[in-house]
Parts: sequence; structure tokens; C-alpha cells
Amino acid sequence: MPFVKRDVTAPGSTGRRAGDDLAPHDDGLASHIAALGSPDIEVRWSAARALGGRADAVPALATALGVEQIARVREAIMTALMRVGDEASVMALLPYLRSQDAAERGTSIEALQALPGAILPFMAPLLADGDSDVRLLATELARNMPAENATQLLCRLLEHEQHPNVCAAAIDVLAEVGTRDAVPALQACAERFAGTPFLPFAVSIAIARISDTDR
Amino acid sequence: MAGSEAHGPRAVRVTPEDVRRLCEFLYRRTGMLFDDNKRYYIDRRLVERIGATKSESFQAYFAVLRSDADHEIEQLINAFTVNETYFNREEHQLRCMTSDLLGNVIRGKRPGESIRIWSIPCSTGEEPYSIAIWLMENWRLVDSYNIEIVGSDIDTRALKVAAEGIYGERALMRLSRDVIGRYFQPVADGEHQIDPGLRESIQFTRANLIDPSEMARYRGFDIVFCRNVLIYFDDSSRRIAAENLYDCLGAGGYICLGHSETMSRISPLFRVCRFSDAIVYQRPEADHDGR
Amino acid sequence: MTDVERAAAPSRRRILVVDDSALVRLYYRDTLQKAGFEVEQAINGIEAMEKVLAQPFDLAIVDVNMPRMDGFSFLRTLRRSAADVATLPALVITTEAGEQDLDAARAAGANFYLIKPVSQQDLLRHAAVLSGAPP
Repeated sequence: MPFVKRDVTAPGSTGRRAGDDLAPHDDGLASHIAALGSPDIEVRWSAARALGGRADAVPALATALGVEQIARVREAIMTALMRVGDEASVMALLPYLRSQDAAERGTSIEALQALPGAILPFMAPLLADGDSDVRLLATELARNMPAENATQLLCRLLEHEQHPNVCAAAIDVLAEVGTRDAVPALQACAERFAGTPFLPFAVSIAIARISDTDR
Repeated sequence: MAGSEAHGPRAVRVTPEDVRRLCEFLYRRTGMLFDDNKRYYIDRRLVERIGATKSESFQAYFAVLRSDADHEIEQLINAFTVNETYFNREEHQLRCMTSDLLGNVIRGKRPGESIRIWSIPCSTGEEPYSIAIWLMENWRLVDSYNIEIVGSDIDTRALKVAAEGIYGERALMRLSRDVIGRYFQPVADGEHQIDPGLRESIQFTRANLIDPSEMARYRGFDIVFCRNVLIYFDDSSRRIAAENLYDCLGAGGYICLGHSETMSRISPLFRVCRFSDAIVYQRPEADHDGR
Repeated sequence: MTDVERAAAPSRRRILVVDDSALVRLYYRDTLQKAGFEVEQAINGIEAMEKVLAQPFDLAIVDVNMPRMDGFSFLRTLRRSAADVATLPALVITTEAGEQDLDAARAAGANFYLIKPVSQQDLLRHAAVLSGAPP
């Protein structure tokens, strides 16, 4: 047989890399946090991963996120924050909704979307933000919420929203999670934007999905 | 459209719009596309799952599905995919390995160096043994390198079965009689056992994709087969598993997913690579800032 | 059908629609399919890369804001790929008309851009031209 069997589970049996010495269960919070500032990409990557889910690391993770240049380390920091999932980590992620960088916006949405409970208190202000891009992205955050919450938040938005793309985003989420209660707001939206591209179509699809269902 | 399953006094009605909503959700979540031809098949499984979850309506069921309570997404997908494991299950990926991946892998290696291949989850062993047999049958350089094949799973009972290496006719259906003759011995009840030499060459270990301390022991892999598991994880676990797998791969190492899985629903860490037999993913050779 | 639409249809040009909104994809698909295009979809840049690598397309219509790989990242990756896919024409759909956004689109490798929400006529006109319909 040309195959070699080696005991992979023995520590040090395969090439270890910088950062491996930071064993994940080592409770050296301070050393991991210091490592977040290392010039070595691997060390920062390992540190971010080791700090995943640690509420006491949130301030350091938030700071690191603000300066990290390497895409995969940014992803690891966002994962670490997502795993904490508390109010502080939500607040650390929220500023990235306003990022000029589409990739950063996308990752922060992905992380926040996974925290429907933690993000709920922030939803009303986000959906009323002065920046239409922020309102637009915030509609996505309702997608993983219980149907009643999502419907209530997005209908309130639709009642006053003037920006067609924000309405479009809200309608997309309602088409998936909306309850019957969304129909009036949707119809009003279609009337407000009658004769414009896309929105009347989107509303008709959403209403069909919401209405043609049992109960 | 009638689809109904009676449980108690009330039959649950599923409408075409319900099915559209469901298919759109599944597509967004998993990348699996159900066009009109496949819809009927979904309808029936949907009604089954509504009954199995004791949901009183499609709405109630959809809420269960959206929250993935009790792994309902996996249950639903299992209801309409064929889940048997057998040898050479996705042969096009094995072909890709010998036709393309290994050629790239050895570019950085001297003869005699290690090539590390990982099957995780390996379940009852069909995949790692398939890899080994395929290499011996199809790779002319199989003797020129120290090839390590590791099979890992979270299920220790499956690992015991894998170590034993006994399989029935159905599992071997894709293998020719010649190949079976070369690598298996017949045992009781019409089953076949992998030859002891091959059995002893594969390392079987318990590993949990989401546990960083367990995963930290695995480094420097050139090819990882991680099929039909990531897509069932929740958002956070998918990211953690992807980061763990990234770490377990060497720079330029490849990862192969299940045929209806896509990294687009899992992680941006990997590059998409096209080869004639398969699309696989690669840990980039070098870091970049993503811009 | 307009003349432009009719000219595009017989060649059964293939268009990849890349947008994470199901309703937007449905809207584009319905419009383009009725005009005779073959349409496939992707919800982000990673899926779009998988699809363009797997099969030939004549045009990609690409939204900017998508999870896991946004439209600009997709275009940059596309333009760095093998020659047979790197030259795929790309129509970027942006939400903004600012100089910065247009420069970003051009820098990423877009052939043209439109601003959301897109009318059916604009979509069809640009799809026909950019996918290489005969003159």
C-alpha cells in the first residue's frame, strides 16, 4: 500500500504555523488581544478566532475591525463578534452598515442578520435612519425575525418611505416572511409608486405570496 | 392544487404560492434550484414534513423551517435527496483529483514528500477508501509520494464501522468486479471487507468541524473532501467551520463540497476553480485585502 | 417586441442575472425570457463565478450589494480569470449615480451601468446591445 498512516492527532506531528501556539482554550485573554495587533497576518487571524464568542473581547475586536486590511482576518473578526451576539457586539458591527466598501457592508449584514434577537431593539432607529442606504440594508435584518416582528417593522417603514429602492428591499423581505397584515401597506405602496418601474410588479408578487395561503 | 395530509380533523392545504415561497427560501439558503419540473416532487415532501412536524398550516411549518428548529432544513432536504453513501459516489471529483488537482499539488513538492488528503465527514468510510482505491487505480504517481489519507467524523460508531471496512453489495455497486477483487475479501452474508493492508493505511479519527481545538490538530492538507454537511449548519457554524477548514488546508490546497452545495452559501474565504470534471474551491496562495 | 429585442432573440443569447433580491431576479428573468433570452441566476458573486465558469454567457447583469461577494468584487475576480470568461460583458446595476460609484464600477470592470429601479425598456435595450446582438 502506498499510503502512510501517521498519528495526526499528536500535537506537533504536522507543520505548525505561527499562531498555532495560541491554543484555543488558553484563557490568556490579554495575550490574544495583544496578538490582534500583531504585524503577522496568521497571528491576527488565530487571535480573532480564539476570541470568538468572548464578550470581554468585544471592544478589542471592534477596534481591530476598524483597522484590519486583510479580508479573511476581517471575516474572522466579524465571526468572533457574531458569536458573542450581545448588544455590545451588535454595536460594534453596526457602523459597517455605513461603510463605503460593499464587502464590509455585506459581511456586517450577514453577521447581524444572524442575531435577530439582539438586533431587534435597534431596528426602529435603523429603519428611520436619514441615510437611505442604511434603511435599505436594515430591511434585510428583518428577514430572520419572526413573521409578526418583521411584518410590523417593515409595514411601518413602507407607510412613510419615499425612496423606491428602500421600498423594494422591504417588499422582498415581506414576500418571504410577511403575514396578511402586510397587504394594506403593500397596496398603498403600489399606489404611491404606480407607473414607476419594478415596484408595482414587486408588490403584486408579494401580495400573491402572502394572500394565497391557507389560514 | 391539492396536496393534503390529514392529521386530526384538519387537512393542511398547500398552495402554489406556498411552494414558490418555499423554493425561493431553499434556493437562497442552500443554492438548490427547483424549477417547475421539480416542483411536484417538492410538493409531496413538503406535505410529509408538515405532517411530521405536526404543523397546522403551511405558515406554521414555514416558521419552523425558517428558524431551522430541530434541523428542519436538513430534514426537508433529506426527504428529497438520495442519501445513501456508496463507493465512488461523486466520481467526477475523484477524476478531477487525479486529472487536475494532484498535478497542481505536486508542483510544490519533491518526490517522496507527503500529500495529505482528508475526508470529513467520512461517515462509514466509503469515501476515504474510495479515494485510496481510486488513487491506486488511476494515479500513475501514487508510489512517488507519501500519501496520507485521513477519514474523520463526529460519530464514533460510524468510525468503528469504517475501521472494520465491511460493506454490502449496494455500497460497491459503482465498483467493477476487478476492483472489488483487488481490494476486498468476501466475508459472511454476501458482504465484502477491505483488505487489511488498506484498512490499516487509513487513519480514522473523531473530529468536530466546529471545534477549533479539535480542528487545530489538522494542518497542511492538500485536498479536503467535505461533502454534504456544511450546508446544514447554521450561519455562525458555517463560518466557523469554513475558517477551521481554511486553517487545515495548506496554501493552495483544495476543498470539494457535495454536488448540490456551493461556497456561495457558506464562505467567501475560498477561490472558485474550474476544471474539466468539477468545480472545486481553493485556499488562496496568498492573502489580499479583498479589493 | 421592439426591433432591438427581436434582433437579440433568435440567437438565444444567455444572460446571467446576479442579484440577491428574489423579486428583482424574477423581474429581470420574466422580462428577458419574454424577449427570447436564456436566463440563469445567482444570488452573489461567488455563485456568479461558479456559473460563468461552468457555462458560457453573453452578458452578466450584476447588482452591487450582495452578501459574501459583492458586485465589484465579482467583477474584479471575473476580469482576472481565464480569457474565455474575463471578457464577459457586464452591466452593473447601482443604487447611486454619484461620480465615485461610476468610477468604482468602471474600475471594477463594468461595461455599463444602470440605476435601480430599472425599467423593462432600459433593461432590454442594454441587454440586447451588451450581449452582442447583431447590428
